Amino acid sequence: MDDETQMSFQVKYFGMLAEIAGLSDEVWNVAGNLTVGQFRAQMLDKYPAMRDKKFKIAVNQKISEDFVSIETPAEIALLPPFAGG
Amino acid sequence: MEKAHKPKKVFVQGPISPDFVAKSIASHQSKTGIGAHAIFLGQIRADQKEGGVVTGIDYTAYEEMAEQAFHDIREAAFARFELTCMHIYHSLGLVPTGEISLFVFVSSPHRRAAFEASEYIVEEIKANVPIFGKELVGDAGFVWKENT
Repeated sequence: MDDETQMSFQVKYFGMLAEIAGLSDEVWNVAGNLTVGQFRAQMLDKYPAMRDKKFKIAVNQKISEDFVSIETPAEIALLPPFAGG
Repeated sequence: MEKAHKPKKVFVQGPISPDFVAKSIASHQSKTGIGAHAIFLGQIRADQKEGGVVTGIDYTAYEEMAEQAFHDIREAAFARFELTCMHIYHSLGLVPTGEISLFVFVSSPHRRAAFEASEYIVEEIKANVPIFGKELVGDAGFVWKENT
C-alpha cells in the first residue's frame, strides 16, 4: 500500500500570470505534502514563461514564504506586483 | 476592547465620478465634530510608453484578499490617528486617462490627523492590497503596471 496521500487544492492566477497560464484558476493535484517552495518549482515547470516574472504566493490569502507547508483545504494565489492607486 | 468598524465595500466598477466625491463631502455636514477633511484622489496619468501613450488602466484584484487588506488598513489607521470617519473607494475594470481610480476620504476634529492618515492609507494601499493594473497603450498594446 502506498501511504502517500493525494492532495489537491485550488490555484488562482492574477494579472500577467493569468495571461501566461491561459486561465484564472485550476485544481492542483499532487501526491503527498508540499511546501510553497516545492509548489513554486512545479508551477515553473508547468509554465516556464513565469520564470522571469516577479510574483508572490498567497496561501489562504496570506503571502507565504517558501518554507511554509501547504495544508488542505487551501486556496493558493499567484500575485504579480501590486498596482493599486 | 471595542469591536472595530464594520467591513465596508471598497470596490466600484469603472471610474469614481466627481459627483460621487461631492456627495460624499455633503453627507458629512451633519457630523459637526469634524473640523478637517483630507481627500486623496488618484487619477490615471497619460504616461508615454514604448508603443504609445497610456489611454487607461484596466484594474483587477484578488477581491477577497483585497477587501481584507482594506479592512486591516482601516483598523490600523483608526488605531494610529484621531479620526472621526474614513472612506476608501477603488475602481475595478477600465478607468480612462484623466479619470479617478482611488478616493480616500478621512475626517478628524483636527487637520494634522487628517493629513497624516490620508498619506498613511494611500501608501498602505499601494504596497499591500492585491490590485493589478493593465495600462492600455496606444491602439492595441499594454503594459502591466507595478507600484514602486
